[in-house]
Amino acid sequence: MDVTQWHRKSLLGLEELSVAEIECILRQAAQFKEDVPNPERKTDHLSGKRIVNLFLEPSTRTRIAFEIAAKSLSADVISITGNSSSLTKGETLRDTAMNVQALGADAIVVRHSSAGSSLFLSRTIDVPIINAGDGAHEHPSQALLDMFTLQENLGTLRGKKITILGDILFSRVARSNLWGLTKMGAEVTLAGPSTLVPKQFEEMGARVSHDLRESLADADAVMLLRIQHERQNSTHFPSLAEYTTMFGLNMERSKWLKPDAIILHPGPINRGVEIDSELADSSRAVILDQVKNGIAVRMAILYLCANAVTCSHND
Amino acid sequence: MTDYCLSGARIVDPAKNLDEIRDFWVVDGRITFGRHDGETENLDVSGKIVMPGLIDLRSHLHAPESLSSASAAAAAGGYTAILAMPDVCPPADNPGAIRLMEEKASKSASITFLQCGCLTKGSKGKELAPLGSLKEAGVVAVSDCPNSPQNTEIFLKGLEYASMFDLPVIEFPRDLTVSSSGVAHEGPTGLRMGIGGYPRMAEELFVQRAITISRNIQVNIHVSSISSAGSVELIRNAKAKGILITADTTPHHLTLTDEKILGYDPNSKTMPPLREESDRAAILAGILDGTIDCISTAHEPCHEHEKQVEFDLAPAGIIGYETALSIVYEELSLHEKDPFGLIAQTMSEKPRRILKTPYEGITEGAKADFVVFDPSKNWQYTVEKGVSVARNTPFDGCTIKGSVVATFSMGKQVYSAIEV
Repeated sequence: MDVTQWHRKSLLGLEELSVAEIECILRQAAQFKEDVPNPERKTDHLSGKRIVNLFLEPSTRTRIAFEIAAKSLSADVISITGNSSSLTKGETLRDTAMNVQALGADAIVVRHSSAGSSLFLSRTIDVPIINAGDGAHEHPSQALLDMFTLQENLGTLRGKKITILGDILFSRVARSNLWGLTKMGAEVTLAGPSTLVPKQFEEMGARVSHDLRESLADADAVMLLRIQHERQNSTHFPSLAEYTTMFGLNMERSKWLKPDAIILHPGPINRGVEIDSELADSSRAVILDQVKNGIAVRMAILYLCANAVTCSHND
Repeated sequence: MTDYCLSGARIVDPAKNLDEIRDFWVVDGRITFGRHDGETENLDVSGKIVMPGLIDLRSHLHAPESLSSASAAAAAGGYTAILAMPDVCPPADNPGAIRLMEEKASKSASITFLQCGCLTKGSKGKELAPLGSLKEAGVVAVSDCPNSPQNTEIFLKGLEYASMFDLPVIEFPRDLTVSSSGVAHEGPTGLRMGIGGYPRMAEELFVQRAITISRNIQVNIHVSSISSAGSVELIRNAKAKGILITADTTPHHLTLTDEKILGYDPNSKTMPPLREESDRAAILAGILDGTIDCISTAHEPCHEHEKQVEFDLAPAGIIGYETALSIVYEELSLHEKDPFGLIAQTMSEKPRRILKTPYEGITEGAKADFVVFDPSKNWQYTVEKGVSVARNTPFDGCTIKGSVVATFSMGKQVYSAIEV
């Protein structure tokens, strides 16, 4: 019998989680996915709780998935975006969060452009904080849904070879996946141009490659990341067209992959840049499965953190 | 005016080749070694060290610190003179601003305020500030700290022009083209945290620029707040070739690394940023072998609310007057059996020499200007009990070895922690 417990009220990142805690979330997500095949059917686990989505950076998937997840657990959900908050009037994040706490939030899901902003909030207020992306630091719920999807498709993560391709330097998704996947026993290769995939990532337990063909050859899955051209100045690579020429994944190059290797992408996709349209819609791509799994995984996160409950499991 | 008798202290003043245990008196504000029989306050300072008053080469005098609170905090740290950087409001780029500051200082300062004027107008790096008029108004150096003229021609002309007035130029070496988005050291720690943008290179490129210019036009250049191992090596090699370059670092770059920012605490956010252990070790070695001439505090007060924000949005800067001497002593005493000569040189003698300020020393007839330091006293520094009104420091709560027990400046006792 394996008994695992969940004691955290906040989820700030995967770097600090143990294998047992990651497994706890993934198991809980599997249960929700099974229990709630029909999104119309609600459970009442968070009935009477107020979940505030504080999204200070643009988001489609993550915000909607957290909203649906919270509503599926019967929580009341309030969403605040950057433009509609008093931050545009010069209020600090600290003050906004203290006000949201005073207004009776039971948990705050926060997305913010500053690395460390979730940790900062968790130290400032008592309400559970769920990190929905903090700068280039972490995006734990995304990595957990990626790991959940990988597990569904590959059976296990242990010993699997996962290649993350694209803009790693500015990517919180890459960092969270790197922590999570390596903890779960997968081998992670970070691939892309040298300016976006510095060698120093090796100190975090990854293999670094600037050779697309080689990095795809023995991968069980490849995770593509969007080129965040709005974040970079033009110095990191010559142009999007050059990126596509050197590192874009297309039908032809997908033959470099093992026949059963799958393709993930956290979205939003830039069709014709990091992945060509046909490949994104092919059977290799599990991109929409990721989106769907995102609901169950976020239900698990909200459920565990908002209750800071004990999660036990009988093997 | 109170007269004092200080008995039993070891006097260390390397500029005057003085290192001995001797009683002395402060009578009418002046030092005398001849017995004084008048009424005195007797300070038994046996076992303690008397060194020349410290002088700080990099002080930022922002709110919430006022001139009087800054001078009280500096005195509590053993400082008797501080060089105010030109990033005051309004910027110190015209004689009026210098005289205004001078006037304020004369009313509220218990220690010597020295002023550093801007090298370029508004420190914007576009056109030279009126360096001659600034000198006439009283500045003792010019600098664009915490900026650096990005245009090398402006910098070069500024150096040539300033040399005409024998005006020291302090360069804060930062190439913005490779560090414009910098909030932290670019290294493994920052990569993990998703922050960075301020690589060693940003400093080293401009240290090399200063060295190259100095070699070509034979002017002195002082580079401020050295933080990287590569800079130390460049300066060491330049000095070996006789190039006229001097340098300082800070107590935090001597003792801390970027591990300190792992919790995203803005109170550990500094400019330049804290770097890696290899840098810290090189800075220590640079102090020990004389490559780095001085240690300055980079005292930079911030309002508490300014630091209670996201790490990347918070202003850089930490306060340092009250902890500098103890931190430096604690660190150097691990490597030098008797570090006081080196401390007196790096924190008093050489900064004075770089600024060309007159110094009488701890000598007969000199105005009392010294610090009394107790190397055996361990103490806990907290911002609660601190003298500075600002609280932005990574050293809050640290227990440190060695403590300032008294400071005399301009003939008067300006700080005392001696239990009578």
